[in-house]
Amino acid sequence: MKNLKKYVMLAAISLAFVSCSKDDDTNPVANEVRLEFKNTFGDTEIVLGGATSSTATKNTSEAGQVHHFSELKYVISNIRLIKEDGTEVPYNINDLDKGATIVNHAKPTTLNYVLSNIPTGEYKQIQFGLGVRTDLNTLDQVRFPNFYASAGANDTETMWEWGTGYRFTKIEGFYDTDNKEMSIHTGSTIEDDENGNHIQGVDAYRNIILDLPQNAAVGVNAPKIIIKADFDKLLSGTANTITLSTGTGMNDNATPNIHTAVQMTKFVDNLGGNGTSDLKGMFSIIKVEN
Amino acid sequence: MRKIILLLPIIILIASCNKDDDYEPLLYDNHELAFNTPPGFPEVNSSFYTNKPTKYGVILGEKLFSDKRLSADNTISCASCHNRPSAFADNNIQAVGIEGRIGLRNTTPIQNLAFMRFYNWDGSKLNLESQPLVPIITHEEMASSILEVMGKISGDNDYVNLFKKTFGDETITPERIYRSIAQYEYTLVSANSKYDRVKRNEATFTENEMQGYHVFQQKCIACHSTELFTDQTFRNIGFPINPNSNEAGRARVTGDMNDYMSFRVPSLRNAEYTAPYGSFGQFSTLREVLDYFDNGVLEADNLDPILKNNGNRIPLTEQEKEDIISFLKTLSDKQFTGQ
Repeated sequence: MKNLKKYVMLAAISLAFVSCSKDDDTNPVANEVRLEFKNTFGDTEIVLGGATSSTATKNTSEAGQVHHFSELKYVISNIRLIKEDGTEVPYNINDLDKGATIVNHAKPTTLNYVLSNIPTGEYKQIQFGLGVRTDLNTLDQVRFPNFYASAGANDTETMWEWGTGYRFTKIEGFYDTDNKEMSIHTGSTIEDDENGNHIQGVDAYRNIILDLPQNAAVGVNAPKIIIKADFDKLLSGTANTITLSTGTGMNDNATPNIHTAVQMTKFVDNLGGNGTSDLKGMFSIIKVEN
Repeated sequence: MRKIILLLPIIILIASCNKDDDYEPLLYDNHELAFNTPPGFPEVNSSFYTNKPTKYGVILGEKLFSDKRLSADNTISCASCHNRPSAFADNNIQAVGIEGRIGLRNTTPIQNLAFMRFYNWDGSKLNLESQPLVPIITHEEMASSILEVMGKISGDNDYVNLFKKTFGDETITPERIYRSIAQYEYTLVSANSKYDRVKRNEATFTENEMQGYHVFQQKCIACHSTELFTDQTFRNIGFPINPNSNEAGRARVTGDMNDYMSFRVPSLRNAEYTAPYGSFGQFSTLREVLDYFDNGVLEADNLDPILKNNGNRIPLTEQEKEDIISFLKTLSDKQFTGQ
């Protein structure tokens, strides 16, 4: 066993040499692409706050309901950059530890996500998932310990234990003039049989496709793509105009009996598009900084 | 550079060879256990065929099932809530996890699960192997994680031996934990109640039990059918609603409005031992359940048609209630529960 360790060390060192020779190249073959998420109501950046906060950003829905958030989190995964010639450059799309992130509005560092080692080139489009693809949405702590840990952390709580999957969005806040509680959680409940046939549940994962207003030029520079997530769409979306109501009836949707997947799907379609005619949902590109 | 890379696989091969020399394979007789489907029971869940109970798999599963280290503070095991005298349920209104945390729903019995197509009150799981992770990680239950559990048990020689005997080597993986627990659960079959013995002509009902069986066949069997005493459908039967905002019944799984506040028809086997009743323990006795049906249930758009067509109630005389309860007690399996 000790010998084995030595050999592994040797192998690691030899590999390090291989990588070193690569670094000697003068023209960068790759660079970073930095994503920045701006969470807004329309053009106003969101400020979170408690029930009676005077500083929280208030928004009024199409249905006339004033609301604000105290907590705002969502999962971005399955990121792909599309080159000008249409080539797709996937970014660790099968590895939640290396290719997925939880944007938590209360933690400014999470509003930036750096894609490393992106091949030099001109990129015209970005695609990503809001949520986690069903094949990776299994709370597999052994495969993805870091993502699992960040999702399960006490200040994150983006795990959906009963569905053994992740929460894709977690929004807490208050609505109407009397500041009733709103609590909107989305996630997939899909279950297939052993042959992969759909048996039950809904898929809350949404693929987002955003054309860049100008190419992101990766090379000497590391471009920054600034993405807007407009949470005005939550209640006033392309798919649904939603009126919040509190209670235990089947049409009440403000607190997590919104876990009733029917109600949940309306929010999902507003935030992430309906998967067919709307592939943007609440997202748009503010600008690309090369 | 190339030479080194070419050398690598060879080095690794040599390294593995060394390892193999230390390994003394031992063969264990980990045979499949005999498993008989009791007469009239439905077909087993298809997952059963890919994870048939084996001698050591079941021993390992039972050990895990009763191991308190599965919980964050080592205070509760699966068996803490699923204990044998209560047909592997408990008698709390709602499940109680670590630090006295109260769960959303009433603990379901673990009996005859090999024959079920859906698990949990809302049918969220379709096979037993995918269920054990849920209580392990749920805040109101064990509040742990699978890596934490694996870490705690990995140094335990009993486990090392059992994993080796069950799976051929001592590697602990999440899947092996889930599969062995499921194997143990598959073996928990209750089919030796007085009712079963009557069916086998080994016993006879008393007058009250017989009367109760007749009423049962008229007024209960539409849902509590088959020898499992559940047709495994999901129905809204107008029971008092759990005010917890996480509750939506099966609708939170399916996204189908028709499933709102619908729950799986519970098996009635060993009902005598599984009080209180209802998805969040609304009723403390069987009598209360029957009184509620008799007095009338809550109206709902998706109320079960059988109730809708009968004025939202199941009319029962006082005598009928007593007889039904007498009959239900014949579904008590003293051998299974060790009562």
